[in-house]
Amino acid sequence: MQRAALALRPMLLALVVASPVLIGVLYAALASVGVAGAGASGHVALDRVVDVLSTRSTWRAIGWSLYVSASATLLATLVAAAVAMRFGTIRRTDRAARVLATFPLPVPHLVAAATALMLFAQSGLLARVLFAVGLIDVPADMPALVYDRAGVGLILALTWKEIPFLAVVAFAVRHSEHDALSEAARTLGAQPAQLRRLITWPLLWRGMAPAVIAVFAFALGSYETAVLLAPVDPAPLAVLTMERFADPSLARRGDAYVLALVGLALAAVAVAAHEWARARWSA
Amino acid sequence: MSRVVMNACMLSVLAVAGLAACGGDRGDATQLTTTDELAELSALPWDSVVTRARGTRVTWRMWRGDPAINAFIDGWVAEQLRERYEITLAAVEGQGAELVNQFVLEREAGRGRGTASLVWINGETFSQMRAESLLAGPWAGTLPNSRFVDSASPIIARDFEQDPAGFESPWGAVQFALIYDTVRTPEPPRTINELADWIRAHPGRFTHDQSFTGVTFLKLLMYARGGGVETFAGGFTEERYARGRSAVFGWLDSVRGNFWRGGETYPPDVAAMHRLFANAEIDFSMSNNQHDVLNKVRQGVLPPTARALLLRDGTIANAHYLGIPFNAPNAAGAMVVADFLLSPEAQLRKLDPDVWADGTVLDVSRLSAEWRGRFTALEQATVGIPGDSLRRYARPEVAPTYHERLQTDWRAWVRGEAR
Repeated sequence: MQRAALALRPMLLALVVASPVLIGVLYAALASVGVAGAGASGHVALDRVVDVLSTRSTWRAIGWSLYVSASATLLATLVAAAVAMRFGTIRRTDRAARVLATFPLPVPHLVAAATALMLFAQSGLLARVLFAVGLIDVPADMPALVYDRAGVGLILALTWKEIPFLAVVAFAVRHSEHDALSEAARTLGAQPAQLRRLITWPLLWRGMAPAVIAVFAFALGSYETAVLLAPVDPAPLAVLTMERFADPSLARRGDAYVLALVGLALAAVAVAAHEWARARWSA
Repeated sequence: MSRVVMNACMLSVLAVAGLAACGGDRGDATQLTTTDELAELSALPWDSVVTRARGTRVTWRMWRGDPAINAFIDGWVAEQLRERYEITLAAVEGQGAELVNQFVLEREAGRGRGTASLVWINGETFSQMRAESLLAGPWAGTLPNSRFVDSASPIIARDFEQDPAGFESPWGAVQFALIYDTVRTPEPPRTINELADWIRAHPGRFTHDQSFTGVTFLKLLMYARGGGVETFAGGFTEERYARGRSAVFGWLDSVRGNFWRGGETYPPDVAAMHRLFANAEIDFSMSNNQHDVLNKVRQGVLPPTARALLLRDGTIANAHYLGIPFNAPNAAGAMVVADFLLSPEAQLRKLDPDVWADGTVLDVSRLSAEWRGRFTALEQATVGIPGDSLRRYARPEVAPTYHERLQTDWRAWVRGEAR
């Protein structure tokens, strides 16, 4: 009996932590079917859900947002891991490099997006430099890097913003790396290259994985950067959601809750995939 | 997405707080509603309203996107209110759709009174807040300064064809204008047709934004190409809208390829469009306020040679208003602030291009000779478009549904979806 109660305790704690989100999800679910929210009819109807899921822009938004957040997460992870590997020792220069890599950490995402706009716009700093050296003649000659369908500006802004966070995690993972494990491998005759491939990298990846998932989920739902740098078509999922949340027609605001739940489901899938992978690593 | 969930989370927190409040304090049920309070205040002499407002705090939810407006409100207006009525004014962000959503959440959470006593609204926001019963009233007619309001003007007496019915008090009027650079474009197009020719002759140099101003431009196209504002006046009908829609999208289809970025993407808001214009990526910007350009030149946002331009097909004029939310905690304070903003002094100061350049809603002929003289002097000193040209090309707003449908259909059009 007592044991059962003890086992329940962490569950209860988890429930308390999750309750605001759970209530939020419940409210979103009610608003999706027209029971709550602005313009609610008061009785359950699935037409909002059907409407949203059968719209072309929804699927384009999902695809485009997955592409942008996956690209930015991948780039940021690679850079962070490379920095942690390259500047891993206690040498003064390495320590300085590690501190420098974390500098953008406190910069708000909004500022990162505004900076990207100033740098990459067709009349931005980059274009002015290219103009000064005679590579372009008019703004339109500059390749479109903001509001662009390839999402280059957005991906770069998100990448730059996520590198320091992932780098901090990577440094911590490397720092706590089992020296005993490397020591044993070296004693058994492992070459430095083998050591990296078989011990350092796998430990780094596994240690970073939760943070990588968090960054992916964040990038997927990030609104501030997307609204400043993304094109109208395809619209990012977060922008499409906010657009519907502020739709001039009250009847369409329920769409926002359907889209919010879609975004939440995508993030939940990423977390579940990570849990599955971790279970395999542990096995 | 995160914001929507956050809003829902906020509601849950409010709900929990509400449940907690139910335990100890059952005073809410017997408390007067804001509408009851307004009815009571309206029956009192104005001096008593002022007495009740003295020493209170008024939270005003408004658009905070323009530094010049913020400086006017947080500076002069707040100071005057403190000096005259000991009212503490707190202007906070909140407009349009976001405002409506938050008041719906507050209503659903069921708390007695909210935090905001005054909101800055017009058109679709007014219509939605009325539809969702989020405004208290009527009250606007009881303000002493409301006797100076230009009630004969269709642009002020009707808010997107809706009767304000005392649920909102006007405080400013503006008119849509294009913005161009007299150096870059010495001979600008003067009509929609000339504009189309200009766009074809200058590929990649014209665009409009995705938000309110952009949709106002579309509506202007709808009037000009769909048979004039008379065609759409007198409420929304699908039939008339269908005609307007084909006129708008027909015109857009014929020039889209020559828009900035080939019409694939559009600046998110007016600020972004101003930036593109200032950086010479495009040759036109636009604004809902004909005098905005003077203001932006003074701030250094736009080049000194930028000027406003009215299209002869007619441009849209509208007024903006103040409302008192259904759960406003300080109805008396809100009324005093709204009345102060209607005073000739506040209206004149607001009109000054060095302050904001927001048009007055007063009928100047109803003022004393002294104030009339000041208004005339300011108009003569302003280098903007003269008042008689403005009045000549001004067209009123039509039912907000036209605006809503154009916005929705434009998004579908730009994303290649069926309309």
